[in-house]
Amino acid sequence: MELPIRLSQDSREPIYHQIEHQLKALIAGGNLRAGTSLPSIRSLSKDLEVSVITTRRAYQNLEAQGFIKTLQGKGTFVAEIEDSLKKQVKESTVRNTLERAVETALSYEYTASQVEELFQEIMNNHRKEKGD
Amino acid sequence: MEYIAEITHIKKQIDDFHLGPIDLRVEPGTITAIVGNNGSGKSTLLKLIMNLVNPDLGNVKLFGTLVYGEDESWKKHIAYQPQTVIGWDAFNGKTLKDFIASLYPDWDEDLFHNMVSTFQIPLNKKFNKLSQGMQQKLNLALTIPRNAPLLILDEPTSFMDIPSKKHLIDILVHWMDQGDRSIIFSSHQMEDIKKLSDYLFVLHNGNMIGNYEKDALLEKYKSYWIQNTTPLPNHTIPGEISRTDQQLISNQADRTEAFLMDEGMQWTKRTSLDLEDIVSLLLKPIETTNDEVT
Repeated sequence: MELPIRLSQDSREPIYHQIEHQLKALIAGGNLRAGTSLPSIRSLSKDLEVSVITTRRAYQNLEAQGFIKTLQGKGTFVAEIEDSLKKQVKESTVRNTLERAVETALSYEYTASQVEELFQEIMNNHRKEKGD
Repeated sequence: MEYIAEITHIKKQIDDFHLGPIDLRVEPGTITAIVGNNGSGKSTLLKLIMNLVNPDLGNVKLFGTLVYGEDESWKKHIAYQPQTVIGWDAFNGKTLKDFIASLYPDWDEDLFHNMVSTFQIPLNKKFNKLSQGMQQKLNLALTIPRNAPLLILDEPTSFMDIPSKKHLIDILVHWMDQGDRSIIFSSHQMEDIKKLSDYLFVLHNGNMIGNYEKDALLEKYKSYWIQNTTPLPNHTIPGEISRTDQQLISNQADRTEAFLMDEGMQWTKRTSLDLEDIVSLLLKPIETTNDEVT
């Protein structure tokens, strides 16, 4: 199985962190259910074109936080996680995405109020699309 | 740390070609790509590891044993694929397989047959009647199933077609997952290097440039676009390896950024370099620092 993980080399966020966050989001969002078998460290490293050092670090962090578990000789699996943890991940994923969007806008020299205006506009479009 | 291979300060001169000094450690569970320009000494280095060439200085230890002694037990822990094999021409794949399989107690017959069918290798044809690409595939099918904990491949895919290269990557990934194994391979194929390697050992005209963890290398090389309002100083700034107009390339991103921030200079865009560009920069003839800024 190839996981839908997209890495950005240009991001300030370290690669192992990106892998960790995206896997958390996939697990918390229900895309990867408890018990799902995950690719081996070597196999994920191939798919993402990173070294096993990076992938191992991401898996170790996820294991320490209880998102995945490794069974000796069987592989790595998605763990059962608490609803409160799921909620926490969802919130931080959305927050991080919005923060990145704001950072991008500011790097293009938008003012704070221009960003707010744009945000309102996007939200209004969404509301219209969802049905009048 | 128990190293699978330990190369210490090795030096070799062949006619007017100097290789080394070279130091390289290979940990279990890792893949090292030997990368370099043509004639940089990649194959010679692999032969030195295999004790097929004697070094002038330095030594090689495999699994903790020096390769020069009476004790040649290390040999059965290694599967080595040279670029060209001598003595196979008159035999077909079946005969070669029977001979090689008998030498390796852990020979994986299933893997051999999987590779033969994946690569559609004709086992009844004499080796010298096969195309270069097919010879390479048969050679790999006779090497990987030896299941030795260290696999050494000298340009394994140079003649192979695109789908076969992809199959080989998957075979090697699966092979690595079977235990505490390591691979050292030399290659000019960027795709193989990106998908397989953990470390890049870079050689340039016989000189060791360095052994780099792949992701650490990508993190160090960055390209910056500096705002026009704040021109760069005329001197070379920390980490700088090249610049054009307001674009700057650094091989020590952290130092460059610290300098730019101290000077109150801003960059509008920061991008990573492709591994291919980084390798090209590492293999660029060294310039004197005076020429860098005019």
